[in-house]
Amino acid sequence: MEYTKQGKHTAEFIWIWTIIVLGFIYLPVVCDGISSLSKGRYFSFPIKRWALDWWVKTASSMEIGEIVRNSLLIAFAVTILSTVIGFCGALAFARFNWKGRKLFQKLILLPVFFPQPVLGLALLLLFNTFGITLSWHTAVFAHLIWITPVVTLVIAIQVYGFDPTLEVAAKDLGASRFRIFREITLPLLWPGIWSGMLFAFLLSWGNFSLSLYTTGVDNTVPKWLYTKMIAGYTPMVPTLGTMSTLVAAAVMILGGLCVWAVRRKQGRN
Amino acid sequence: MVSAKLHKAKDPQEESAAELAREIKPGETILDLVHVCRDFDKVRVIKDVSLQIRKNEFFTLVGPSGSGKTTILKMLAGMDQPTSGDIVLGGKSISTVPPDKRPTCMVFQFLALFPHMSVGENIEFPMKVKGIPGDKRCERAYELMQLVSLPESYYKKNVMKCSGGERQRVAIARALAYDPEILLFDEPLSAIDAKLRKTLQKELKELHARSGKTFIYITHSLEEAMYMSDRVGVLCNGVLKQVGTPSEIYNHPVSRFVASFIGDTNIFEVHMSSSGRWEASDFPGMDIKLEPRGDRLEGYLVVRPENLRVIDDGAVPADNVIDCKVRNAYSMGSRIQYQLISGKKEIMLELTPRHDHGIKPGDNVRLGWNAQDAIFVDE
Repeated sequence: MEYTKQGKHTAEFIWIWTIIVLGFIYLPVVCDGISSLSKGRYFSFPIKRWALDWWVKTASSMEIGEIVRNSLLIAFAVTILSTVIGFCGALAFARFNWKGRKLFQKLILLPVFFPQPVLGLALLLLFNTFGITLSWHTAVFAHLIWITPVVTLVIAIQVYGFDPTLEVAAKDLGASRFRIFREITLPLLWPGIWSGMLFAFLLSWGNFSLSLYTTGVDNTVPKWLYTKMIAGYTPMVPTLGTMSTLVAAAVMILGGLCVWAVRRKQGRN
Repeated sequence: MVSAKLHKAKDPQEESAAELAREIKPGETILDLVHVCRDFDKVRVIKDVSLQIRKNEFFTLVGPSGSGKTTILKMLAGMDQPTSGDIVLGGKSISTVPPDKRPTCMVFQFLALFPHMSVGENIEFPMKVKGIPGDKRCERAYELMQLVSLPESYYKKNVMKCSGGERQRVAIARALAYDPEILLFDEPLSAIDAKLRKTLQKELKELHARSGKTFIYITHSLEEAMYMSDRVGVLCNGVLKQVGTPSEIYNHPVSRFVASFIGDTNIFEVHMSSSGRWEASDFPGMDIKLEPRGDRLEGYLVVRPENLRVIDDGAVPADNVIDCKVRNAYSMGSRIQYQLISGKKEIMLELTPRHDHGIKPGDNVRLGWNAQDAIFVDE
């Protein structure tokens, strides 16, 4: 009896602890959301008058539309490019045994540890040296340097669980290389590729340090938020912040649903 | 129309090999290994293997791990190529033909079933590759499932949810769906528990008869090989030591290695003494009687544990008799195996429980064998 009582206390403590941690994590997001619902011009608590004014203003702002478009363009381009490169890299990382693989595995990890502001500045100098005009295109390149290694690692985890004998067996059963890739390799690595794409999109969407140096005149969501925070605060800041969080959450849920649907189709669940 | 498309897609030479193989009559040579050698990093792992496989036979290559049996199987499947020598199928060389263009199909050790496909999709995969239309594929899949005794309801079942034995059957059905002339088996039963293995061995043998295909099987267990096969090839360090029917291998092994590979056996080194009598170094002073060996002067005598008899009072005398002391007895259900010692030599004896003469560890017994019960080997 004593034991179960103790067990009950432990379970209660774990619940309370979990709720506290989640509270700390989500409190800023919630505050952000609340402050975006204030009618006033300045950020103050408690909120005197509630309104959706700033949401309407933000949604209809041309400037905001432009920077969201930029952020999305960069994120989509980075997602596609880093997934293609990362997929090939992951195969080299985990699937094939070749001379120098160990070194490659370490070198590919290194960019993740570069301090991003330093990397951004270095790239800015590089682009200037070559006389390349900065725009969202150059930001894509900068993001790729940092995000591709992450995507490579994420996909590599899935590749490690892939049994190469399946490809040999498919070949033995008469399948061509292309068919093996399309019907065996790709479907089995798909969950890893999806995770990689999600990581790429979210890391690019939220990236500030690299965008700050490499977007030139084009603005992105994190960069705009930062500039407005240090000079010229407007309640559009928490509003856009909340919107951005919601978009990221939506992308994550959508991605999760896709993985779930694929698994269900494959009959794993 | 589909078959016409297929014919066009295939290399004429490869197709004729498959076609020629199809026309061979059962019992005639379908696959011919001609002085096949394979080197890895300048080390010769397959040493001049020549072997003929007959159509419709169940042939097993058996050898300890590292004997090169998997390498030979890979060369037969097209996943590896001989360094020298040739592999001939139906009169045409196939040494350099890739696996997807050969009329052979492999059942892998760990089966290599596609985990993201259902039982039906797995079986239909090779037919889909060949361009056979959906309804025909489905019909054939059900036929094959019946052939390997899988219930029809399994068609839509996820392959990873099947049991070990069921997966085995799916793998065989998938290989048969490729419609190969020769099925290759890479120890597919080694990872399965002993009881199920026996059942599957029986099934495989029955399936061989029903399918009318040529089976080439590899295993490290000679027992498994003898149980299922029409003929067995014993491989050691890349050398094919002996090829024959299971009874030939058991009763007339060509070497100590082959004789002892099946299980514990007694091997005595024997030589002709200066006085013209056969002597065994394990039993000094004893006159060994054996069947005439022509001009041989030395060799080894193999005496199977079940061919030794207990010579007690009133027993029929034997040609050769040794005194032993019983050390241990191991019951194997239908048989009892005894470990004895004679001088310094360990002796294995096998008796049935009903004729065990009441011997137990610690007893002194006399064992004997007749000249014709011993097998003489040169090496």
